[in-house]
Amino acid sequence: MKPVAILTDVTRCTGCEACVGACKKEYHLGPDRPWRQKGAIDDLSSTRHTTILSRPGGRYVRKQCRHCNQAACVSACLVGAMQKTPDGPVIYDEKKCMGCRYCMVACPYSIPRYDWNKAVPYVHKCTMCYTRIKTGKQPACIEACPEEATIFGPRDEILALARQRLKTEPQKYLQEIYGEKEVGGTSVLYISDIPLDFLACKPALGETPLPERTYAALSKVPGIVLAMGGLLTGIYWIIGRRMRMQELKATAAAETQTEKAKTADGEKE
Amino acid sequence: MNRRLRIVKSVLWGFVGVWVVVTVARFLRGLGPTTGLSDAVPWGLWIALDVMAGVALAAGGFVVVATVYLFGLERYRPFVRPAILTAFLGYVAVAVGLLYDLGLPWHIWYPILYPQYQSVLFEVAMCVMLYLAVLALEFAPVALEHPWFGHPIFRGALTVLKKATLVLLIAGVILSTLHQSSLGSLFLIAPYRLDPLWYTPIIYVLFFISAVGLGLMTVTMESLLSGWLFGHKIRTSLLSGLGLAASVVLGFYAAIRLGDVAVRGVLGHAFDGSWQGWLFLFETLVCAILPAVLLAVRRIRLSAAGLGVCSAMTIFGMVLNRLSVCILAFERPEGMTYFPAWTEFAITLGIMSAMALVFVFFVENLKVYPREDRESISARPAERLSYDPATLHRLTPESIAATRRYSLIAVTTAAFAVAFLPKEAVFGPQPVPAPVFGIRTVEGFLLKQPGGRQPRIMLASHMEDAPNKGRRVSLMMIDGNRNGRLVLFTHKRHIEECGGEDSCAKCHHQNMPFDENTSCYECHRDMYEPTDIFDHAFHVTHLGGNDGCKECHVSFSQPKMRQTAKACLECHKEMLAAETFAGEEQEKTMTGIAPGYMKALHRLCIGCHRREVKENPQRRSPAFARCDACHGNAGDLDLRRLGPYAHSADSRDGASRLAQAAPLSGGNRSFGDHTSEQSGP
Repeated sequence: MKPVAILTDVTRCTGCEACVGACKKEYHLGPDRPWRQKGAIDDLSSTRHTTILSRPGGRYVRKQCRHCNQAACVSACLVGAMQKTPDGPVIYDEKKCMGCRYCMVACPYSIPRYDWNKAVPYVHKCTMCYTRIKTGKQPACIEACPEEATIFGPRDEILALARQRLKTEPQKYLQEIYGEKEVGGTSVLYISDIPLDFLACKPALGETPLPERTYAALSKVPGIVLAMGGLLTGIYWIIGRRMRMQELKATAAAETQTEKAKTADGEKE
Repeated sequence: MNRRLRIVKSVLWGFVGVWVVVTVARFLRGLGPTTGLSDAVPWGLWIALDVMAGVALAAGGFVVVATVYLFGLERYRPFVRPAILTAFLGYVAVAVGLLYDLGLPWHIWYPILYPQYQSVLFEVAMCVMLYLAVLALEFAPVALEHPWFGHPIFRGALTVLKKATLVLLIAGVILSTLHQSSLGSLFLIAPYRLDPLWYTPIIYVLFFISAVGLGLMTVTMESLLSGWLFGHKIRTSLLSGLGLAASVVLGFYAAIRLGDVAVRGVLGHAFDGSWQGWLFLFETLVCAILPAVLLAVRRIRLSAAGLGVCSAMTIFGMVLNRLSVCILAFERPEGMTYFPAWTEFAITLGIMSAMALVFVFFVENLKVYPREDRESISARPAERLSYDPATLHRLTPESIAATRRYSLIAVTTAAFAVAFLPKEAVFGPQPVPAPVFGIRTVEGFLLKQPGGRQPRIMLASHMEDAPNKGRRVSLMMIDGNRNGRLVLFTHKRHIEECGGEDSCAKCHHQNMPFDENTSCYECHRDMYEPTDIFDHAFHVTHLGGNDGCKECHVSFSQPKMRQTAKACLECHKEMLAAETFAGEEQEKTMTGIAPGYMKALHRLCIGCHRREVKENPQRRSPAFARCDACHGNAGDLDLRRLGPYAHSADSRDGASRLAQAAPLSGGNRSFGDHTSEQSGP
């Protein structure tokens, strides 16, 4: 299978939330609980892997995992519970998870959500219906969309389609494919007539994939181990030797002194 | 035993009592009820204080070990054992704190099973695990010296450990260097969330240097504290040596910290008056600049008070630094605040108290401090049998009285903790409190319907064009779903529909936990789920009692159940409005199950809309078949989920007038069409 991607066309979305319903049904997520602090149900949660954000001007933007090509969560997870499949989706293996929530810290789009109210909690996020697309089906949300506002296909074809839409109706769209190059490219792309910076933690994410930033530090580890080991042993050896030499000198000096004293004694005698 | 120690121990046991109770709640009910964490704040106090700051505070171990063994500064040897013990207990505290913070603490060893080498956290985890083992081995000789371990096996182990000292020490120093710095590298992955004053590509260098400085200061503080607690003399001259070293290290740290901020060009941010700027300045001043300057002064360095103040400042400032990186300067969505729940503080304090008690126990029973100090520790007055002079009853000896006192204190604080536990931590998830809007009356009309059907209810504001169509009545509006949205409510009709006077309890019951009456949605089910509307008893009476079975359960051979019965539609065809496409699909077999509210209403409309577009393309644009043909006017999603919106200028004006009379939370919310739907077919 070629790497796949999802394209969401914000201009087509009517905010009907059919995608949310389909996702809930597919994964048996059940009813939502309002966010503790907001008292509202308006963002992703452990019972809502995709959601519709209402923006001023009657625009509706679907928020979901972006399935980054070089995903921060994948590089952050210390047990490999988050994995980037060669097909594109970033999937989560709850059997490996230890619940450190470093993925939630790492994600530049703050996507992963947690079962805060369970004694045995897991991380929740969109997996692009990986088991479904493996069997040749489309993700549940894509199937449910009545407006074809969100579509699914091989990433290169999807990108070409997005470019074509931007080209044929340049006055309708902002000339940017969100997710084409951000943090090394994502598998969930957007075209829109309103800026979508609010989907990320900070407006205008760079193009550097985040894992590269940690790699810069992590690659120094073996060097540090060797250098420190050598340095410490060396210091220990040199200082130890110097101290032994001092001791030797001291004893030698003491000996000569006693000898001198002896000879002096002898002279006295 | 001295009085001071007794009081400190009592307080520590008090914290341990609370800790035990909160521990039970934490593992039974999960993180949500016992912490202030949320999806916007995945890491809170436990990671920042117990892990980040805890590891940094335990840096004293490797700093002193390196000083004495590797750099050969033998005069600092009295600090070695206490520092190793502090570090060991500190790392145990880190591990225990992690067990609380991890969602699945029984998977804590999984990094060994499923290593993922690209992760900084993997490196930290492995280093902390190994270093904990190294510290245990470094401390083991102290324990093995005790006469309890007189067996030759233990003696053998002791000699082996003593021979391996150098390897252990070097390994310990390397592991410490790695994970002290890597705790900083953890945040390299979050450049967009950590404030630029703290996010720097060399954050790991800063973390390491600050850990060294902090380590020197914690050893000082620990030495001062134990001197105060156990009453042995304080080695001010030695401590001043540590102070001088700390002064150099902290000065170096401050230079790099400020230099880094300046080189990256965010120094302006520090002075722009933002709270992050102030926090940065305060933190750097308190943790590094002030102590470095003060400790450079010989007189301050040589006084116990000066050392105490400087080490306290460094410890406070560095802990604040870790808190900043982890929580304070870490970006959160607007309006999402984090303040730790008291249970989080209780766990942190409890772990620290437990470790402090273990520390005291080791100090009292093992050769942790040099001999001259131990004499003052073990100098207990010989216990004599004492009698109450008045009654001549024998008094409880101190060894028993102390145990009783500590148990009493721990049990008492535990009881208080139970009383103050959050409701969710005891009873599980609680309904979110929502204020109920008061009942309101509005003018309306009852329109007679043909064929003896229930009269149709209309709002007066919708009927201005034809005021004399029906009987003018006062209608009640209630906030039945407790979402601030008032809907028309016909009490009388509800009584009739629900089965007369006896049915009050259906809504007004008093016995459901946390609920005083049934919300509308509990009967008028939500938008997505189908609802069971089949009334078996009703059918039995109307089909002639038991003889009527075969009307629906056609086949005798099959068991009599819903799946095998005749579909409702076969009898009730006329109940559906013409041209709807309800019942076309799987509903034919879904006997007795009504489709969800949304589905039902969609099916009443969407079919015709689509057909219209197909058949009359010149009259209807494709937009007529799109969702926003009906759902276009709504401002917020929740409303749109409820139902389509009125398009006529009339009704909208009416609604806005109503809203002006008594503004609802949303302002221009319109409810006209809901009511007409409710009273519609």
